[in-house]
Amino acid sequence: MEEMFMAPVVEAIDLKKTYMLGKIPVEALRGVNLKVESGDFLSILGPSGSGKSTLLNLVGALDKPTAGKLSIDGVDVSTLNDNQLADLRLRIGFVFQFFNLIPRFTARDNVELAMSIKGINKSARTKRAQELLETVGLKDRINHKPAELSGGQQQRVAIARALANDPRFLLMDEPTGNIDSKTAREVLNLIQSINTKGVTIIMVTHDQRLALEGKRTAQMFDGVITSDLEN
Amino acid sequence: MRVSDVFHYSFSAIKLRKLRAALTTLGVIIGIAAIVALLSITQGLQTTITDQLQRGLSADTLIVVSGSNALGGGGSGAGGFAGDGIGTTSSSTRLYLNYTDEINALSSDITTSLALIQKAGYIQNGSGISRIVTTMVGVDFSEYKNAYSTTFVAASGSIPSNPSINVIVVGARVSDPRLNGTRFVQTNDEVSITWTNNTIIPFKNMTYTARVSAILERIGGFGIGGPSDTGIYVPLSQAEDFFGTNEADMIIVKLKSSDEATINRTSKAITDYFGDQVSVISATAVQSLLTTIFSTISLFLGGIAAISLLVAGIGIMNIMIVSLIERTREIGILKAIGMKSRTVLYIFLTESVIIGLIGAAIGIVSGWILANLVAIFLGRGGIMGGALTITPILTAEVLLGALVFGVGISVVFALYPAWRASKLKPVEALRYE
Repeated sequence: MEEMFMAPVVEAIDLKKTYMLGKIPVEALRGVNLKVESGDFLSILGPSGSGKSTLLNLVGALDKPTAGKLSIDGVDVSTLNDNQLADLRLRIGFVFQFFNLIPRFTARDNVELAMSIKGINKSARTKRAQELLETVGLKDRINHKPAELSGGQQQRVAIARALANDPRFLLMDEPTGNIDSKTAREVLNLIQSINTKGVTIIMVTHDQRLALEGKRTAQMFDGVITSDLEN
Repeated sequence: MRVSDVFHYSFSAIKLRKLRAALTTLGVIIGIAAIVALLSITQGLQTTITDQLQRGLSADTLIVVSGSNALGGGGSGAGGFAGDGIGTTSSSTRLYLNYTDEINALSSDITTSLALIQKAGYIQNGSGISRIVTTMVGVDFSEYKNAYSTTFVAASGSIPSNPSINVIVVGARVSDPRLNGTRFVQTNDEVSITWTNNTIIPFKNMTYTARVSAILERIGGFGIGGPSDTGIYVPLSQAEDFFGTNEADMIIVKLKSSDEATINRTSKAITDYFGDQVSVISATAVQSLLTTIFSTISLFLGGIAAISLLVAGIGIMNIMIVSLIERTREIGILKAIGMKSRTVLYIFLTESVIIGLIGAAIGIVSGWILANLVAIFLGRGGIMGGALTITPILTAEVLLGALVFGVGISVVFALYPAWRASKLKPVEALRYE
């Protein structure tokens, strides 16, 4: 237990991922080395095609590497089966560019959904969803459906959902990519305040300015990390 | 994920596509309703016919007809109805009226036996304008009264024990064919009865005049050998003369006991005596034959109805595949936030279970209503002029079976789409537009 806490949140050693595009192998990751410690706020910056989405999928336990070692929260991903990967994802909070809320559910139901997947009972879920939505500033939008919320508000719901199961880290994919700049600022402030409270954040973006909002930026190019510097 | 949460999630998905779900459910409803309606009517019909047959064919009575291919001679069941006992004696052993003595001597289990001559013909009343096609039965009135003491009973007039030759007894529906009080014949009416003699070429209509001495109580049902509402009873000696024969179309054997051993023993004794050239029909054999027939009918009708349920199943599969494609991204999201493949499978299967359950429940109720409507329609004179009233019977087996079958079909046809949904790769599903 002690050791688990000491382990980095994410550690990648010579991580490789090769896709088959038809019959042609595409090397999306060609040996990524990365270490994210608890409490960090890492931006992974890179142009499209640099392999950052592939890295995001691997770090998000959505996919398995072709070669190299990847441990998430101290667990070696390559040894896991589908079920174990799903369990591991319960420890990761996803925030997507397009929010990815369930349209037929209210803000609260969306947040509760993450907890119901974990098997948490209804009353505990409702209480926690309420608190989280208050934290992200949506106290009076709890019973609204995504279509009744602005982009920024939807992303706040998504962040609340990502936080629902007390994840080891939040994994964000262009979290402000689909929001107007003024709202984006508010969302970023929220993300930073969450990080201040000790939640580790890994954010993937192609936007240099956005990357600088984090504590550290790893620059990706052509399937490798070319630089990894404090901001 | 908890079971209740899976249900809640599935239900929310169904609610989102109400019309589509309703149409899919309708398929199940129709299939289940058809099964329930057909089976409960068949069951009701079986009960009605069995009841009526039992009234006409008492358990302690055996019917001997010529021909070896009637229902299983040994009382063991299978086989078909041989002719109908009406003048269709084949080239095999013929039964003669005086065989009753020989049969009586066969076993101490036999109380008595009596011979019947049966011919098809028609009766004309005094006005001579209308006629009723009927079965004419030549029988010894006093023996017949003994054998069928509860059914060969006069409602009006009296049944003479030593009848004069031109006396007949008629069934209730010969007197009152539509059972509405409009009498075709009454007691003491002069009537003429006619049969077509087909043993000579050219065929010849034979007619004689008789007086109605009694009208029987209404019996209902249609027995073999026993008195019937539509029969005309002619004294045996007159019948021999009138039909020009001393052959019996059937011999009724009364037994001392109605237990199966006695029935089987006596049946065997009789068939053995006639070298397997006669068939012995017993109530138990008829009943087992009926059971066989009705289970075949049930299977057949149920099978047809099941086909409609299969079609409904394909509908479910179709809608599930469409739903799966539409919800690919949703499945990606669910998996990304930690849902197991197994749970995705359960969610889809639960949707089909909900559709199946609702469909089966509504289907059972509407099938039952349909069965009763059909029964009412038939009871109004649809079949046999209303002589046969059917009360649909919904057995627990049919009820449970329909429920299980409805849900089962829904689940089976949802298996493939559900499996495909569960196998979606989260990365690809999330990318799906």
